[in-house]
Amino acid sequence: MGRYVIRRLLQFIPTVLGTMFLLHYMTSLAIQFSGNPVRAIFGDRTPPPALLQSITERLGYGDPCLEQKGNPCFGLFLDRVSGVFLSFDFGIDLREQEVTELVANAIPYTLKLLVIAIVFEAVVGIAAGVWAGLRGGSFADNLVKISTVFVISVPIFVLGVVVREFIGVKFGNILRDQEWLPDVVAYGFFSPGFKPDYPFASLLIPGMVLGSVALATTARLTRTSIMENIRADFVRTARAKGLANKRVIGVHTLRNSLIPVITYLGVDIGSAMAGAVVTETIFNVPGIGRLVTAAAREGESSVVIGVVTMLVLVVLLANLLVDLLYAVLDPRIRYE
Amino acid sequence: MRGKFLKVAVAATATAMLATACGSDSSDAGDDAAGGTLRVYASEPAYLLPSNANDEPSIYVVRQLYRGLVKYNAETGDPEMDLAESIDSDDQKLWTIKLKDGYTFDNGEPVDADAFIRSWNFAAYAPNAQNNGSFMTRIAGIDEVLPKDPDGDGPEKAPEPTAETLSGLKKVDDLTFTVELSEPFSGFPIVVGYPGFSPMAQACLDDTDACNETPIGNGPYKIDGSWKHDVEINLVRSDSWKGEAGKPAAINYRIFGDVDAAYAAFQAGELDVMYTIPPARFKEAKASYGDRLYEQASGSLNYVGLPLYDESFQDKRIRQAISMAVDRESIVDAVFDGRWTPATGFVAPTFQGAREGVCTYCTKDVEAAKKLLEEAGGWPEGKKLTLWANAGAGHDAWLQAVGDQIKAVLGIDYELKVNLQFAEYLEKADNREFTGPFRLGWGPDYPYLETYLTPTYGTGAKSNYTTFSNADFDSLLKQGDSAPSVEEAIPFYQQAEDILAEELPVIPMFWRKEAAIYSEHVDNFVWNKVAGADYGATALK
Repeated sequence: MGRYVIRRLLQFIPTVLGTMFLLHYMTSLAIQFSGNPVRAIFGDRTPPPALLQSITERLGYGDPCLEQKGNPCFGLFLDRVSGVFLSFDFGIDLREQEVTELVANAIPYTLKLLVIAIVFEAVVGIAAGVWAGLRGGSFADNLVKISTVFVISVPIFVLGVVVREFIGVKFGNILRDQEWLPDVVAYGFFSPGFKPDYPFASLLIPGMVLGSVALATTARLTRTSIMENIRADFVRTARAKGLANKRVIGVHTLRNSLIPVITYLGVDIGSAMAGAVVTETIFNVPGIGRLVTAAAREGESSVVIGVVTMLVLVVLLANLLVDLLYAVLDPRIRYE
Repeated sequence: MRGKFLKVAVAATATAMLATACGSDSSDAGDDAAGGTLRVYASEPAYLLPSNANDEPSIYVVRQLYRGLVKYNAETGDPEMDLAESIDSDDQKLWTIKLKDGYTFDNGEPVDADAFIRSWNFAAYAPNAQNNGSFMTRIAGIDEVLPKDPDGDGPEKAPEPTAETLSGLKKVDDLTFTVELSEPFSGFPIVVGYPGFSPMAQACLDDTDACNETPIGNGPYKIDGSWKHDVEINLVRSDSWKGEAGKPAAINYRIFGDVDAAYAAFQAGELDVMYTIPPARFKEAKASYGDRLYEQASGSLNYVGLPLYDESFQDKRIRQAISMAVDRESIVDAVFDGRWTPATGFVAPTFQGAREGVCTYCTKDVEAAKKLLEEAGGWPEGKKLTLWANAGAGHDAWLQAVGDQIKAVLGIDYELKVNLQFAEYLEKADNREFTGPFRLGWGPDYPYLETYLTPTYGTGAKSNYTTFSNADFDSLLKQGDSAPSVEEAIPFYQQAEDILAEELPVIPMFWRKEAAIYSEHVDNFVWNKVAGADYGATALK
């Protein structure tokens, strides 16, 4: 077990360095081929050259290799890597804000959003899956099957915009006219986006949208798994022993059915981060996703490299945890 | 269990039905209407330090936090004394500025001559890398502080500055200082209304990073807490401000990453003022908000520049022919929903001294265009006209229409080159590398018609992307610059504009329009002709 973890951790190093290099190379190419992003700040006005030069240098785009097309800029890459790993310096963005500070500001929002999404998809998804799985072929089963297909087939950026326009704006406006509703519901929960006045309530709907796609998959996974296990020998034995139905379902069937579901939820953290890029932009959540979208749009290499490297680490750690959890859930799996 | 789920399902369906059935639009009240907080749309500012803030979102905040020597009249755009008692000069070169007494910064420091001198010096000094350093270039001694490019075309390495302060700034007493310009300039009292000329406290310069996060302003509002990046900025009325107090007790700038998300927030009644509208939603906004949608002609010109460094465009008759081949009106109708105004001159119609129809070659005339092209010896057989625009900003549509019209009238085939990102495109412009007509824009820096002439068409001017050079034009500008008053200067600038209208280094296309929407809570919405939405002057019900 210990050796396995160490081996896995060692594998992180080439993965992270490789990702960083790819990002570094792509963003450097972007600058080499499409020009100094600092010049774009000034738009139609040509800045005095001395000024352009000192701003370019201050923002870290002064390396001459950024003017040679195709040059992989190894020197700059080494500077960046040593900056990141030796002094935890991820550089600054075009507005001279430290990337570490930008991330520190943004991460609480993204974490909250992810927690809401995962709790929502786990609780509702498993409940719907169990409900459908226990009554195969019934109305409940068909309802879950049809509604999940519906959710899976709508891309998150469409779902997000539709929810914002119809639930946040139109339906929310009706609610905001109702005197009897508490403000936290009308102005917080049904707000068309994140609102600093209601930092938690206004994140609920974006979190649910983010969790919805995985929710559908979770529900289907649980449903299939339950249907399979309910016919298994050990369940029949449990029933034959005369155990109460509650115990047969709750302990014997459900617990065994959850193994694939938990694996899925763990792996989904990674894709939920990707979904956050879309959801945060639509619902104006000032988290990591909005940060990285804006940075990619403006060509801020340091932000893109810094944030994506951190995301890679998160995904790697989540995957490692899931792999370790296998062993906990299923005693047949062992790591040497 | 089944019962519970059914209930939820029923409730959910009912909700969904309600949402679709009652699609009526009711833009409603915000939650804290009584408090007198004006909630406005913002995108993330780049900087809140006046010497560094040169983008729209930053300036919208800085203008409420800081005040300068003059302010602009909301209706006419004329400069009025704000912190200055007087700004006088006998020769338009040496300006004496007297300040009003009693103004202070939020931290108690006085707003005196030093506050302005230190701010301007800080902005100009090259190693400080302040975006607004370029506004100080008229002041004497700038070359020692912000050195010029030695060879004049994209430096390898600009020389080191030899001085830290501008020799043209001199303190006379606590409330008086003099500014010596390198060349006479009659518009100087107008220029200093730009926020880059705001005073700065010593405490602010001692720690500019902190001052960027928690500004120490001298204006009618001060920051409440500090700048919450990407979330919001809160301003409250400042007790230290001696001038006319701001109307709302507080201003809340909600920061949005996406203008569509902001529009949804406005529809949900979460914003009182939004100074921009997503273009795709404009018609809808006009239908839903009607008289609460404010439209104002802007001073931003879209033009097609002609590379005079390319011999194909050196004959002015060719340029006139191209200009006369284009029907601006029909392009505006087709591409911009008829919102923009076709340009008939080089100075924004809203400016003092602007005249209608200066550019006689700016209306479509097929016969005249053909004749001019013929006189000039025609267009080289088989040579394609390359039309340039930057990618991803929606310019290809109208530029293609321009190309089609040129082709239809003059029979010149064209190709579009619209794949360059903005940064690379601007570098091409700086290096004068365009091979055909190129689209660019120009917006005024200050409300004086000179802002449309010298920076873009003066010989050797930095933003003169066409390399236009005309001795008569330059000398008229000089006469205007040294005229004893604005009124006396205007005729010279107008004559200079006439030269442009004949020579056509650029083809003026259209003037853009600004639009803002405001909520039912707003009592009177104030749009300053120069500064845009004026939040401090906008009263709530």
